[in-house]
Amino acid sequence: MKRLRPAGNVAELPSVVFGSRSLMWWATLGFMVIEGWTLALLVTAYLYLRQNFEAWPPLRTPYPSLLIPTINLVIMLLSFFPAFMAAKRAKQLDTAGVKRWLVVLSLFALAILVIRWWELWAINTRWDTNAYGSAAWTIVGFHTSLLALDVADTLGLTLLFFVREMPARSFSDTSDNSFYWYFTVGIWIPVYLIVYVGPRIF
Amino acid sequence: MQNHHEPVVPAGTALSDEDVAREAAALEEVWHGRSGFWGWLTSVDHKSIGKRYIVTAFAMFLAGGILAAMMRTQLMRPENTLLGPDRYNQIFTTHGTTMMFLFAVPIMTAMGTYFVPLMVGARSIAFPRANAFGYWTYFVGVVFLYVSLIANTGPDTGWFAYVPLSGPQYAPGHRVDVWAQVVTFTEIAALVAAVNIIVTTFKMRSPGMSLNRLPLFVWAQLVVSFMIVFAMPAVATGSTLMLAEDRAVNTHWFNPAEGGDALLWQHVFWFFGHPEVYIIFLPALGFITPIVETFARRKVFGYTALVMSNITTAFFAFGLWVHHMFATPIPELGQSLFTAASMLIAIPTGIQIFCWLATLWAGRPEFRVPLLFVLGFIFTFVNGGITGVMLASVAFDKQAHDTFFVVAHLHYVLIGGGVMPLFGAFYFWFPKITGRMLDETLGKVNFWLFLIGVNVAFFPMHVLGLEGMPRRVYTYLSSTGWGPLNLVSTIGAYVIALSVVVFLVNVIKSWIGGEAAGHNPWNSSGLEWATSSPPPPYNFVHVPVTTSRHPLWDTDVHLPVMTGLRSDRREVLITTTFDARPDHRHEDPEPSIWPLYLALCMGLTFIGSIFSPYLVLVGLGASLPGLLAWAWQSLNSHRGPDRVAAPDVLAETT
Repeated sequence: MKRLRPAGNVAELPSVVFGSRSLMWWATLGFMVIEGWTLALLVTAYLYLRQNFEAWPPLRTPYPSLLIPTINLVIMLLSFFPAFMAAKRAKQLDTAGVKRWLVVLSLFALAILVIRWWELWAINTRWDTNAYGSAAWTIVGFHTSLLALDVADTLGLTLLFFVREMPARSFSDTSDNSFYWYFTVGIWIPVYLIVYVGPRIF
Repeated sequence: MQNHHEPVVPAGTALSDEDVAREAAALEEVWHGRSGFWGWLTSVDHKSIGKRYIVTAFAMFLAGGILAAMMRTQLMRPENTLLGPDRYNQIFTTHGTTMMFLFAVPIMTAMGTYFVPLMVGARSIAFPRANAFGYWTYFVGVVFLYVSLIANTGPDTGWFAYVPLSGPQYAPGHRVDVWAQVVTFTEIAALVAAVNIIVTTFKMRSPGMSLNRLPLFVWAQLVVSFMIVFAMPAVATGSTLMLAEDRAVNTHWFNPAEGGDALLWQHVFWFFGHPEVYIIFLPALGFITPIVETFARRKVFGYTALVMSNITTAFFAFGLWVHHMFATPIPELGQSLFTAASMLIAIPTGIQIFCWLATLWAGRPEFRVPLLFVLGFIFTFVNGGITGVMLASVAFDKQAHDTFFVVAHLHYVLIGGGVMPLFGAFYFWFPKITGRMLDETLGKVNFWLFLIGVNVAFFPMHVLGLEGMPRRVYTYLSSTGWGPLNLVSTIGAYVIALSVVVFLVNVIKSWIGGEAAGHNPWNSSGLEWATSSPPPPYNFVHVPVTTSRHPLWDTDVHLPVMTGLRSDRREVLITTTFDARPDHRHEDPEPSIWPLYLALCMGLTFIGSIFSPYLVLVGLGASLPGLLAWAWQSLNSHRGPDRVAAPDVLAETT
């Protein structure tokens, strides 16, 4: 075997970093691409099925309601702020600030998830009525699974911050949690437009 | 700020043997997992996981092969009664499902899981616990499929499970549900492996290994991982969501009476299914370059062309899926487009083959067993590729569709393009994994029997297909005249089986008492050969520094390394994405039982979904404490102090 010759020393490099320097950020990005792509394929299938119907929603099928989905959309957009603040405080290594904004974000997350129940029914057509209903329910349902995961992640992280001492790495995790939150909310905007507003347009 | 960490490789003194031994002993203490059965269950070492992945996937190759032998025995003469139509349907479906989902894709990602960290000079894989989780999820799928088959609930609608045949109306019972969920387990495992390989490749390369120095094996794994990320969600959409919903909760995705569409299934399936062929085949191309370089004793011709061909193939692979649907009412313009694309993809593949031929031509080839398998690949795969170009023509495709011609084509492509290089790779890297050489004579017997067997088994199928023999029939009348060629084909299948038996004997014999390999038995150039065989749990005593594409050929008696990673905790070096400059140190996780626990929860969730939606909730509910425990354990095992580089502050913590 070859003899080893030192060419440099890495002992002084940091061991906790943020954003795209950290591995967990990349894992989160990978998850976002996979789930975002799955959602995009579902939306494509929804539009593909559109060609089988003369009208959309199909005849004798009511339009989706707009009120509850719009209220929830507004709450989701507002939730960007606590997610942003939690990440900001994390980058300042401010434990108290992180705890405070994680609690606020958790409350938003729970509210959004609860309202999502009525939002599903606001499609106004059951999944087993016709292919339109199947597609709309699957799209919103799939996004709900992403949302539920994000809520679980946020609540779990918040809980851990309150029950034990957290290493510095957890600040980076908090910032990545906000990164995933932006995705969950951001990707909802086109879904909302296609599923709830779209049938009134096409 | 990292400029002073730039690997300039000054002429310095080498580390003394005592220094290296002392460091190795400290690392051994930290990186060695627990021993015994519990240690095995909780291991997160990418080599240990990679090894069991390879062994399980190869066991699936054997299982799928036994099913194939049963089919060939049934078809060896007209009106044979060994298998009835129902059993035959389950066997050919399980054969296809096994080979595509439980052998071909997993074994390629398994090779990546084992070798990518070693080849990029890293001490570990990016997400070791997720890697273990992926393996266990896959393992659940393996057990589920074969328990179902033995219980006479094996899937029976073909490996692509076309609706309406696989829909609730024509496939009552749970056979198709088994198929849909086995696919789910494979998807999860493949996606986890893909993200792991991508992040390991992007962030954990040895200092100095800029992307233009990346080994071609790793390039192939990287490109394929991206393909998995975009292909697997399509089949997930189709099987785990649409088909499973239609069957379980009466949705109408594929029910034309309620506006659904049977062709939608074919689109989502083949949008995955065609790239799948390249997901199997591109990693195999990654095996070929190091083998050709090593045995031609020269650097590969056309590195850039090979990389670009890999990437181009991956792009084109997503634009071909409709050629599986030429027999459906697709608009003529669409057919022409997909014909052109299907022919176009032969170009990057051709470029690669010419690069390897040029390398061999200009080198001094030594015909050891790994190289023989590469030559077998070129012969067999080019044959399969040519029939592929034939099938890309719509007029021809409509004649040959669903006949044995297609069976011949796909086996030439997949065995030629996937299995032949894989055998070559086994012979080439077996010494690294086990520390022992495989027997050369038995290897040659293995190779020749395999090459002859494959051609005797599959060539006659071209003729049978052109004579009109449809695929997936359990028998045929003697008046068709198909008997003699079927008999020849069956004899070929038995020769393949014999060849695989020779391989198994070789593996067992060599593993027990083969010639000791040493760290670099072939005098090869990659970083995986810079460590002992088998590699220690921490892979490298110090992280190697890369100064060229062929680090072991282009350095003198000294290998430059980076020192300074801690040896009192599991620590890995993270580098920048493009140039691989040292960026930070990352604490790697300890062994854990929670990946296995979570994989079992996934099993409960998805297998439960077949029987009741409530079991889904039970499975998901059970996974929540597992996730929390996963996080808790990693917080507990943390060993400070840390040096934090936050955007707003720089701090030292304990």
